[in-house]
Amino acid sequence: MNSPLVRSRPPMLAIAEWSKHAFIVLISAALLFPMLLMLVMSLKDKEQIVFEFFAIRPPFHFENYQIAYGFISPFIMNSVWMALWATVVTVTVTALAGYAFGKLEFPGRNVLFWILFAKMMLPGIMNLIPSFTLAWKLGILDTSLPVILFCAGTSQPFWVFVMRTFVAQQPQELFESMRIDGANEWQIFRFLAIPLLRPMLALMSINVFVSVWNDYIWPLVTIQSFEKRPLTVGLAYLTSAHPGDYGMLTAGYVIAALPLLVLFFISMKQFIEGLTAGAIKL
Amino acid sequence: MADQLATNTAVHRTPSRRWRRQMWIGWAFVAPAVLLNVVFDWYPMFDGIYRSFYRWDGYNTAVYVGLENFEKIFNDTIFWTAVANMLFFLVASIVLMIPTIVTSVVLFRIRNMRAQYLYRVLFCIPMVVPWMVIILMWQFMYNPQYGLFNNLIVAVGMEHLTQTWLGDSELVKWCLVFMGFPFVTTNAALIYLGGLKSVSDSVWEAGALDGVGPIQKFWYLELPLITGQFSLNLIGTITAAITGYTTQLILTKGGPGFASMVPGLYMYFSAFKSQKYGYASALGMVMFVMSLVITLLSVRFLQKEEHQS
Repeated sequence: MNSPLVRSRPPMLAIAEWSKHAFIVLISAALLFPMLLMLVMSLKDKEQIVFEFFAIRPPFHFENYQIAYGFISPFIMNSVWMALWATVVTVTVTALAGYAFGKLEFPGRNVLFWILFAKMMLPGIMNLIPSFTLAWKLGILDTSLPVILFCAGTSQPFWVFVMRTFVAQQPQELFESMRIDGANEWQIFRFLAIPLLRPMLALMSINVFVSVWNDYIWPLVTIQSFEKRPLTVGLAYLTSAHPGDYGMLTAGYVIAALPLLVLFFISMKQFIEGLTAGAIKL
Repeated sequence: MADQLATNTAVHRTPSRRWRRQMWIGWAFVAPAVLLNVVFDWYPMFDGIYRSFYRWDGYNTAVYVGLENFEKIFNDTIFWTAVANMLFFLVASIVLMIPTIVTSVVLFRIRNMRAQYLYRVLFCIPMVVPWMVIILMWQFMYNPQYGLFNNLIVAVGMEHLTQTWLGDSELVKWCLVFMGFPFVTTNAALIYLGGLKSVSDSVWEAGALDGVGPIQKFWYLELPLITGQFSLNLIGTITAAITGYTTQLILTKGGPGFASMVPGLYMYFSAFKSQKYGYASALGMVMFVMSLVITLLSVRFLQKEEHQS
């Protein structure tokens, strides 16, 4: 805002510019308010929450975090495990299919692509109950397999579509020259397509990981054993099991939010570029 | 399916070795994705349609009952209450798409690129905080005993106005809608921003030179640029409003009474609480058809609008 260009503008324009900033800052503040409240509450004990809700003053109860961590660390490990495997499986099958649909010629290509594409357009509400009975028949209830397999089955069509478009846009000569050099299809995929697709694979990985991390209903119905449940189910359970103990609970929420926040700050650039720079062209 | 594909190759009539190799390689690449999709996405859908014509408790053998489940749904007062509530949430979520659009346009009009980037980073934070945490924080804020809202009301000295919020059958729906405050879906805002940025700067400079006011600029330049993204978001919003129920499941269980019951939650309870899998599948199918029809209608409407302008 301190550039000479802005300063030399007439005052009306400067006011307009500042009001835009003010608007966005207010929206951001409102968006982040629950998180801020969470941080403040996580340092209070029960009495402080009841009698001085708005005050921020010592004693700060850091032990809330220790107690909460004891409760939720197993849930975090379960979620990490599930989300990682689901991401690896989904991204792998999607990259293979996206590449093949974009660059390889084979009979049935369009039919097979339409099978994926059409399901993407249909609402998924019908699926919950039959998916549950399918998982039951397969004997995989109470493991993380339903989460991993159904994630791989349902979340890839969109990304296959995106990657197919991207691969098809790449110049044919790139692929042809490698073929002439004697590379087989696997090598072309591994050493040409994968590097080309890198930014998109990163964006997809983050998206799949976050969606599995946030999933609630599906793991709730498929995983009965308490100690195998993921973070979302664990947090909801913890909240109903400790009514009113909001110091410890909010500390738990903070801990639950940390892994993804860290992941986000590591991959921030790709995340934001991917979202806005038109990786998903419509 | 293999037979069908085999006849496809016959049509090509190029049984050379190379072509056959190509064929197997192609299938090997797409097979994992297609198989996973067919088994874990397509099959459950058809199985659900099939089961909606049966009465099945999950243990005994299923009994074919024809359209009985659908007749029952039609006469089920809980279902119609749920539909009415769902329509309330649907209208609210469509109207509340506006703040997101406005925000993305304001963000786009900020000329200072470093500030804009900073705001984009801030906007990403709600996306990576687990959804469950945000829902549970709102549950805490609405808590009548410990929560933010009643504490605020007491702090300004209007104790008689304290509410039970989610426990109040008159207020509960409004509380669930207000959870979206400030009603900006940040990932949608960033996707709109991507659409706005897809046009070169010269267009915008031309617009400024012609003395186009900020409101006209919004209607004639910016809005048309994001119609593609908007329709896609609209479909997502409609589908989510008609079939979604996670928030209700966590916060209200459809209550108090049936004040916040929605069809999706009713389906969930029918299956996993009352063990009426056939009835639940039929409910799923009704919602499936509803969201498909409403989505198609709104897409049609949008396309017509686009042709007219």
